[in-house]
Amino acid sequence: MKYMIMMFGGLGATLQNRTPEWITGMHELMMKLDTELKESGEVVASHGLVDPSQAKTVRFTGGVPVPTDGPFAEVKESLAGYWIVEVSEERALEIASQVVAYTEYPMEVRRVMHGDDAPQQ
Amino acid sequence: MSNGQRVGDLLRECAPQVLGALVRRHGQFDACEDAVQEALLAAAVQWPVDGIPDRPRAWLLTVAGRSLVDGWRSERARRSRERATALDPAGHAPAADHPGAGDRDADDTLVLLFLCCHPALSPLSQLALTLRAVGGLTTSEIAAAFLVPEATIAKRISRAKQQIRNAGARFEMPPRVQRAERLGVVLHVLYLVFNEGYTTSSGPVLHRADLTAEAIRLTRVLHRLLPGEGETAGLLALMLLTDARRAARTDADGSIVPLAEQRRDRWDTAAIAEGQALLTATLGTVPVGPYQLQAAIAALHDEAPTADATDWPQILALYEVLAEVAPGPVVTLSRAVAVAMVHGPTAGLAVLGTLDGDDRMAHTHRLEAVRAHLLERAGDPVAARESYLRAAAATASLPEQRYLTVRAARLHQLPPPA
Repeated sequence: MKYMIMMFGGLGATLQNRTPEWITGMHELMMKLDTELKESGEVVASHGLVDPSQAKTVRFTGGVPVPTDGPFAEVKESLAGYWIVEVSEERALEIASQVVAYTEYPMEVRRVMHGDDAPQQ
Repeated sequence: MSNGQRVGDLLRECAPQVLGALVRRHGQFDACEDAVQEALLAAAVQWPVDGIPDRPRAWLLTVAGRSLVDGWRSERARRSRERATALDPAGHAPAADHPGAGDRDADDTLVLLFLCCHPALSPLSQLALTLRAVGGLTTSEIAAAFLVPEATIAKRISRAKQQIRNAGARFEMPPRVQRAERLGVVLHVLYLVFNEGYTTSSGPVLHRADLTAEAIRLTRVLHRLLPGEGETAGLLALMLLTDARRAARTDADGSIVPLAEQRRDRWDTAAIAEGQALLTATLGTVPVGPYQLQAAIAALHDEAPTADATDWPQILALYEVLAEVAPGPVVTLSRAVAVAMVHGPTAGLAVLGTLDGDDRMAHTHRLEAVRAHLLERAGDPVAARESYLRAAAATASLPEQRYLTVRAARLHQLPPPA
């Protein structure tokens, strides 16, 4: 099974009141976990996303798509990055728990659909 | 050196020579380039197992020739004459080993560089095509280096070749009157390859040594072919003098170490010496250009035994010349740092102020990152912290984002100024 593990928070404004040691600790944890997942071959894809303040949102306004600055959502609710891992649900939840135990930010674990969208490797 | 690495090095060296020979024989740069790629892929699989053939170039030429013919056959066109020629390896394979073949290989490599850096192409297409056709990299290697899907690179390359065809470009040196301008484009493409490897524009790893190594290798080839071109020598020196600091740029866990805090005993002294020698042989003998000036600045940094011993007045003087020869926002940014080191952070901040509202700086975090450093040195932690956070929000490089976030957090802990 493939699962997408999505991290919310951990960028820009959510870090404003954290100490440098806490931030460095988070970076170390993320990098260590990322390396482990790559070495074990469990990770299919992983990406971090640029700060949500840089995002644009396209909305259907007045009958046409209109791009505007920002998602206008709480930064804490913004997607900061994701892993796609090929593991059991139990293992996916365990991976997410390792991060949440440190950051205390929520992570969402969702199964990736399969069908005719992409060749299965 | 491992067998696989030896094969890789040999293939990269042969790639432009084989492509040159094939194009001179058959024309059709785009089809020949595909055929050579096929041959390189076949060699990469077979040679490590079967051993390197006695005449590797002849082998590649034969396999590429067959692949070319297969392509024609599947098109069901242009059959007879070309196929007869291409199917006969004896007819052309030994040619590359004849006396004088060395010169022609060299000329071919140069022509290929100019062709792949054709002004009709976008910089990204120039990069991809140069790395494949001249550098001998496979599509998947290029895709991995740029962190994009292989299909994206494949499409970019085939579109680039079509644009070259549409532009009516031929496999020959550009006319003499255009040569200086076209050489400028070639140098810029090599510079971009280097920079992409040295400071990756996105992704988790700060430098990808394979791209910088490839940029240095190709620039070295170009410098050997055009030893009298000062800017080619300057670019090679710049790459060597910059890459010499690579090992010290990140610490054990991959975090950025700024120049002033780097362990200078980890710098590559051989690369520094080679860069210095190139500069010494070049400066003053030819008209000075931006790459030579940047190399001279890099050399001053490399020569300083400690950060405090850096000859900032001399660096500032070089930036002033650079600002006249090749003005631009990135030069202004670096000059602001030098001004700050010589005349104090407030003077540096004033230079930075001239970049506010410059659209060319809108998509980079560097202006805010430099401002943050200068504000911190000027004793304004509150404004510095805001600048660090703005810079962190704007960067797409994970190590830089981490570095800037931590710098901001450090200032947050300081007691407010009394």
